[in-house]
Amino acid sequence: MEKKIRRFNTSKRGKQGADIMAAWDLSVTVEDLGPDTPPVSLSVTSDLHVGGVILKLVEKTQIKRDWSDHALWWEQKQCWLLRTAWSLEKYGIHADARLHFMPQHKPLKLGLPNGITLRLHACYSSPVFQTVMHICRMLNIRHPEELSLLRPIEEKKKKKDKDSTEEIYDLTEVPLSSASRPCLYNGMPAHFADSPQMEAVYKMLSVTQPPPAPEVIAKQYRPASVVDKAHINGRWLDSSRCLMQQGIQENDRLWLRFKYFTFYDIEPKYDVVRLTQLYEQARWAILLEDIDCTEEEMMLFGALQYHISKVSQSEPQMLSSSAAMDDLESALQSLEVKMEGESSSASEMLENMTAPELNDYLKIFRPKRLTLKGYKQYWFKFQDTSISYFKSKEESIGEPIQQINLKGCEVAPDVNMAAQKFLIRLLIPAPEGMNEVYLRCENEQQYAQWMAGCRLASKGKSLADNSYQSEIQSIHSFLAMQKTNSSSHGNAPANDESINTHSLVSPRYHKKYKAKQLTPRILDAYQNVAQLSLTDAVMRFIQVWQALPDFGLSYIVVRFKGSRKDEVLGIAPNRLIRIDLGVGDVVKTWRYNNMKQWNVNWDIRQMAIEFEGNVNIAFSCVTADCKIVHEFIGGYIFMSTRSREKSDVLNEELFHKLTGGHEAL
Amino acid sequence: MIVIQPPESLHELEDNDLDALMADLVADLNATEEKLAAEIKGLKTPSPTTSDLPPPTPASSAASSLPPPPPQNAKPTKEEIEAQMKADKIKLALEKLKEAKVKKLVVKVLMNDGSSKTLMVDERQNVREVLDNLFEKTHCDCNVDWSLCETNPELQLDRTFEDHENLVEPLSAWMRDSENQVLFQERGEKYEVFKNPQNFYLWKKDKRALKDIKDKDKEILIQENFCGTSIIVPDLEGVLHLKEDGKKSWKQRLFQLRASGIYYVPKGKTKSSRDLVCFLQFDNVNVYYGKDFKTKYKAPTDFCFVLKHPQIQKESQYIKYLCCDDARTMNLWVTGIRIAKYGVSLYENYKTAEKKAAVNSVWMNRSTPSSSNPSTPSPTIKDPAFPPPPPSLPAKSSSRPVAPQHKLPANFPPPPMAMDNLPPPPLPPPIDDSPEAPPDFLPPPPPAAGFGSLPPPPLSMNSLPPPPHFGGMDQSLPPPPPDPEFLPPPPPEPVFTGAGAPPPPPPPPPPPPAQAAAVPRAPVRPSGSVRKVPPAPPKRTTPSLQVGGGGGGGDFMSELMVAMQKKRGDH
Repeated sequence: MEKKIRRFNTSKRGKQGADIMAAWDLSVTVEDLGPDTPPVSLSVTSDLHVGGVILKLVEKTQIKRDWSDHALWWEQKQCWLLRTAWSLEKYGIHADARLHFMPQHKPLKLGLPNGITLRLHACYSSPVFQTVMHICRMLNIRHPEELSLLRPIEEKKKKKDKDSTEEIYDLTEVPLSSASRPCLYNGMPAHFADSPQMEAVYKMLSVTQPPPAPEVIAKQYRPASVVDKAHINGRWLDSSRCLMQQGIQENDRLWLRFKYFTFYDIEPKYDVVRLTQLYEQARWAILLEDIDCTEEEMMLFGALQYHISKVSQSEPQMLSSSAAMDDLESALQSLEVKMEGESSSASEMLENMTAPELNDYLKIFRPKRLTLKGYKQYWFKFQDTSISYFKSKEESIGEPIQQINLKGCEVAPDVNMAAQKFLIRLLIPAPEGMNEVYLRCENEQQYAQWMAGCRLASKGKSLADNSYQSEIQSIHSFLAMQKTNSSSHGNAPANDESINTHSLVSPRYHKKYKAKQLTPRILDAYQNVAQLSLTDAVMRFIQVWQALPDFGLSYIVVRFKGSRKDEVLGIAPNRLIRIDLGVGDVVKTWRYNNMKQWNVNWDIRQMAIEFEGNVNIAFSCVTADCKIVHEFIGGYIFMSTRSREKSDVLNEELFHKLTGGHEAL
Repeated sequence: MIVIQPPESLHELEDNDLDALMADLVADLNATEEKLAAEIKGLKTPSPTTSDLPPPTPASSAASSLPPPPPQNAKPTKEEIEAQMKADKIKLALEKLKEAKVKKLVVKVLMNDGSSKTLMVDERQNVREVLDNLFEKTHCDCNVDWSLCETNPELQLDRTFEDHENLVEPLSAWMRDSENQVLFQERGEKYEVFKNPQNFYLWKKDKRALKDIKDKDKEILIQENFCGTSIIVPDLEGVLHLKEDGKKSWKQRLFQLRASGIYYVPKGKTKSSRDLVCFLQFDNVNVYYGKDFKTKYKAPTDFCFVLKHPQIQKESQYIKYLCCDDARTMNLWVTGIRIAKYGVSLYENYKTAEKKAAVNSVWMNRSTPSSSNPSTPSPTIKDPAFPPPPPSLPAKSSSRPVAPQHKLPANFPPPPMAMDNLPPPPLPPPIDDSPEAPPDFLPPPPPAAGFGSLPPPPLSMNSLPPPPHFGGMDQSLPPPPPDPEFLPPPPPEPVFTGAGAPPPPPPPPPPPPAQAAAVPRAPVRPSGSVRKVPPAPPKRTTPSLQVGGGGGGGDFMSELMVAMQKKRGDH
């Protein structure tokens, strides 16, 4: 509790220190007595301090319990009486005041970026900035300043039955700790190690969710325009006021979201929950088209989601394994085996060192050649990064008909499971241009092996590369996906073998492509990410998201001074942009580092910003309170002041100074 | 001029060249082979005994022939030591095996003055190492612009190799009769984006504003775009002329550069991301400058660039030709594509090049102190970056901290903006409508008093803008006192006025800027591997040869031998 007493100017209540103090009745509703119990009446004098009121109140209730979290809430003025040393007079409380005595920490339903709802004790009396800090500490999320609370979008109350079945993870038993950083146990905060239930909660927080069913994606609210997106930003809570002051009641639902898109000092070792939730928020931003991307980018996002869900099932903890070490390890092992054997000369050893081969009959076709021969069968040999072919197996000792080096080539699949068509399309670079070559395989097994070989060879890796087997595996699982997609559709994903590719892309592509049409495209993108560890894949997803041109923009509809139409202000981590709603184009960009000062005229709710070079802009906010805009800008400037040396200490005061409005100072 | 030649051209080599090369190669190979043989011998002997559960081996036979003699009577864990030894040997053997297979090329590099130097480059060397090697040979000023370029006269293309690229690989793609060349040149555009990032990241702004940009703002741009979690590609968008596949005509299209590739807006569609059509992705292509395409391909201008697979050496429908209206646009696109393709490597290359240049300039300065770091307006030059203090706060200058400390916030890599750059937040309106904390709302803002009394004067406050004037309401209220100590943004240190905690210690002195710190140090990468290269052969006009061949050392050895014998026989 606040112990600090500030000197202050009492000019407004100049009659302080009056000699006569009359006793009067103060009525206080004690929440713990139940809603129907009438208020408790206390006889007080105006010089009684708040602490004294509480003492009297507790004595009168005759309930023995820990009241330390309780405080008085003044209903009419919408404020807490937290300064216990202040007298009633100082607070200006008279007999007509309706006071409530209640705990400062109450349960809150918190929607996480991954779509899961938690129930936990949040502080209803401190500024939201601090409340978020407490929540993040409990959940083990570093850099809470990047997150904030958002009022959820009202769900259409059509089907109530579904909402009631929603699972809520309960964290209300977690003791409120005051330690600045929770002590870790088994890599998680100690309070999560208490019971298997709690461990399950932590797992939910720190492990990515499986891809959502396509219907779930389709059902979610999707902003259709910049203006829709702007409306969402009007829902941010005010960081400088407390939950009670913003009308949030016990057990209300709020969303915890990353609000400032400058993710500072991400360290996978410490940021398991943070990274997971960031990934989830990014994933949903992509799936719900909150941020635009191209089709190619969508396929890459789909591939990364597929990979992440697959790897997180096999690799429960986020651990980055060192690929280089594995390489050496396996190389040494295979070498060791050979050493034990019979090798006696350098040449023999070289022989043994060479990569494994593939040998089989395949059919080849060269579409660019004018011969209309169609597919012709040859004996193929895959060695190192090259394919050679011979008339027959018997002639494979001699010179091949042709040898094709696949290094740097493009490989594309052309598979139709139903028609049993397994085609590998190769585009092979040569000085004269690219040569097209198709290889036709007989069956799935053969296709997976040769395709995996071609994929690796195109990147300059041989069959001996330790990723060869996993490459084969992933090709198999994608073939399996195509199988299930063609036989049944609309099924919710059960396990990784039967992921519906519609779960990986936004609804736009559900309409554009059938699931089995998506499979080869996602597989194509998947080849470039299949070797990533879980952490690296999550990081890659976030990086690709960050590299999108519209990344980090929060939109607000504003009316510029002197303008007659609404326009959109985009607030980014480093700049403000002005977007013409009619054309949708960025008309103007202002960077914060050229900003000299900004002011809020709270009276007419207008923001005025001055930039270097005598550039002045002013606007009023349409879809959000100007406090929200002010907090965004001040918040980003605050984010830019963070430095590595002091990353442990959050300069809360500076934040409030930069973002605060009325109540901040 | 030429790098790769058919073996026949060995005859054209001058004797002393060949001898020098030969001697070097033979020595190199013999050593390798001998060692390898020794290794294998050594490895073989202990293997039967150490198989599964190894009893302590009398490892004398193995030890005799091996470089690291094993401790004869290792007491505690012989198994471990032996396992370790074995691992070491295997590792060594692996290295040797690799060594034996290393491909080497003799590369002739054309200098600016028309002369040339011949180098042997092995396939593990990257362009940076080759450049360092050339620096030693040429005594140039080693500035960051020095580049290796490849030209393709047939296609009229050229490009600079990136410093992290491997040199042998792209050269191996050249055809035997290729007229391609490797040039050693100063190319300003190579690292222009790091010298003047505003020209790329703020290209839409008017040119005059870009010229006057402060160094500090440049630094912020680099931080934002190259030092974050993700590399940001300049947001290029504009109409370019595209040469249609296999046709002679050029067609205009609206192109957009994204991190994932180049896209265009199809006719009648909007510019929204979802409607963009992918023109090309960067995985398998390099970007080249086109020379004189107006004549060659009837291009609208001569400012053309080309995207193609590095292996394509002749005209082909798989080459994409693009034409820009002016040189600036062309450089924007080529640089943007390089950023998208190479990402952070580009920036790392620059930093390495800059260090190299800095080391060299230190050397140069010993003799000629006036010549300083010629072409690198590096982030190390900071002081001019600071804007003059706002005139309205003259009183403050007295309380300004000492100069070096200004740099403190600017030097931390992560924050995109330095503290001293903070615009002051607006003051709260002096409305007293809350009984919660009355004192906070009284006219004189309390932070002034709080900070004024704290001992360490806030650092990096030197360029504070004037305190914000009040919004609409202020006329009716007393103006804030003209307190010279009143500094709107608080210091970086968290200062909790009321809390019991002691004031935090003043921040430590700033670390020297990264580049400056590196100056006295030796170059980062020792160029040891380059040392094997034979001494530079005398200049010659004949084309040089290809040595090597991925498969094995034997081939080129015998080839060389034959060539030598032939040559000798001729005499």
